[in-house]
Amino acid sequence: MEPSDNGSEFIAVGLAAYGIEADEIELAVIGAAHQTFWPPILELLELDTSQAPSEPAPDLSQAPPSR
Amino acid sequence: MREPLDLTLREQAAAIARGELDAAELLDACLKRIEERNPALNAVVATFPERSREMLGAAPAGPLHGVPVVIKDEWPLPWRAQRFGAAQMLAKTEPGESGPYRALRDAGAVIVGVGNMHELGASSTGNISVYGAAHNPWNPERCPGGSSSGPAAAVAGRLVAGAVGADGVGSIRYPAAYCGLTGLKPTFGRSAMAGHHMAGISTTIVSGALCADAADCRLLDSVLCGQGLRTGSPEGLRIGVIRDDVSEDVAPAVRDACEAAIEDLRRESGGEVREVELPELAAATLATVLIANSESLGGVTPERLNKLDPELSPIARGLLKYRMLLPAIATIKAQQLRSIARQTLAKVFEGVDLIAWPTVPAVAPPLEAPLVELPSGTLTADEANVRGGALANLTGIPAISVPVGSSEGLPIGLQLQAAWGRDELLLDAAEALERANDRRWVEAAPPSARGAEPLEA
Repeated sequence: MEPSDNGSEFIAVGLAAYGIEADEIELAVIGAAHQTFWPPILELLELDTSQAPSEPAPDLSQAPPSR
Repeated sequence: MREPLDLTLREQAAAIARGELDAAELLDACLKRIEERNPALNAVVATFPERSREMLGAAPAGPLHGVPVVIKDEWPLPWRAQRFGAAQMLAKTEPGESGPYRALRDAGAVIVGVGNMHELGASSTGNISVYGAAHNPWNPERCPGGSSSGPAAAVAGRLVAGAVGADGVGSIRYPAAYCGLTGLKPTFGRSAMAGHHMAGISTTIVSGALCADAADCRLLDSVLCGQGLRTGSPEGLRIGVIRDDVSEDVAPAVRDACEAAIEDLRRESGGEVREVELPELAAATLATVLIANSESLGGVTPERLNKLDPELSPIARGLLKYRMLLPAIATIKAQQLRSIARQTLAKVFEGVDLIAWPTVPAVAPPLEAPLVELPSGTLTADEANVRGGALANLTGIPAISVPVGSSEGLPIGLQLQAAWGRDELLLDAAEALERANDRRWVEAAPPSARGAEPLEA
């Protein structure tokens, strides 16, 4: 099954699930944000990160421990 | 002697320490200049002369004794809660002693005003704020950069010689580039962060300085970091550059100025330029945005989202609601990508001392329509800018923007990034670059700033 490109349905259902209301202008902003973010999010989800180093609470002030 | 307000931060501090400059007179002159110049810039959104005079009266003999500075509307002060550039914040805020406030106070500095910022810190442009947009001193129709728009416009407009900003996704470096300043994002966790409404939650935000040049940044960032960022002599710098589609998608004038500056730095340090690869760079941008956005959701409930202040911009209202729809799995993947990117960077920094690329791919866009023209087409400034700014916030490394040229009468910034804890090297490299170009770009200032050099391409 291919990912749906029906952003307005996703947004409407998602907001309704939380009980969040949005006016017309807000919906336009949300729609534009979805168009921007969703394709790269789908690409991100496709990435195989199973080999990612385990760094559950990284100390960002330092280099990571060498693998 | 130049007018005291046109001196650098360190020159002001030294003149006061030597007794050649009266700090009370400097403060009065600074307040007067804000009154005169700020209406055109909207850089400073609050002044409090009595509080400033009280700070001066109690100021210890620190490295910034008597020197006026501006602090971004992201930090609470004992007499004022931050507003984050917004009509409403979802986090609870109240007046208090933030880390940057304490650091400035203990260094003897005088907080003379609060700097404007992009609403909720959510853009690289600075064109939306509850106070109205700040304006770029180089051209008031152009964006000053964000989210630290006011601190940058205040320093570029010579209202003050130094300002404190914050950088969660490039928010010090973008305005530094747009306004022709030097701006350092310190290594994560190194600079004062206490009292920020995201302290303890955010893994991307740091405080940092915006100043005319690297020596002033060194002084102010040393105060913010609570330790001296010592001067070294960068010799034989190995400068890493990236040649991929995204990194090359830069306006020609910006590309040319940055490449010339990289060559200047190589020559000045007697070093070399090496190509490096960061295959995770494009995905790292999205990962940073996802992490920063999810971390900002702590104070959110559906009920609160249904009662947003109508004075918040529609963009802010819409984006706050959209964040609720971002899948948790994407944030987990983003965290994994962060670990991968950190490992890759650690390896890259075994072979180079610095990574260099344009801070932003085009000069400051119009306030009315912040779009930029790149070889790939027209993009929003935010989409374009985040590509270069996000990696340092994702991984924790320090990064600096240094002015290196101009186009259309607007400044161009080069970004240098170094390994964790090597903030000093970035300042050393920025100073080497200043020497290489005879301080041409750090001494250039907007036409409205008297006594300053005009900017010529």
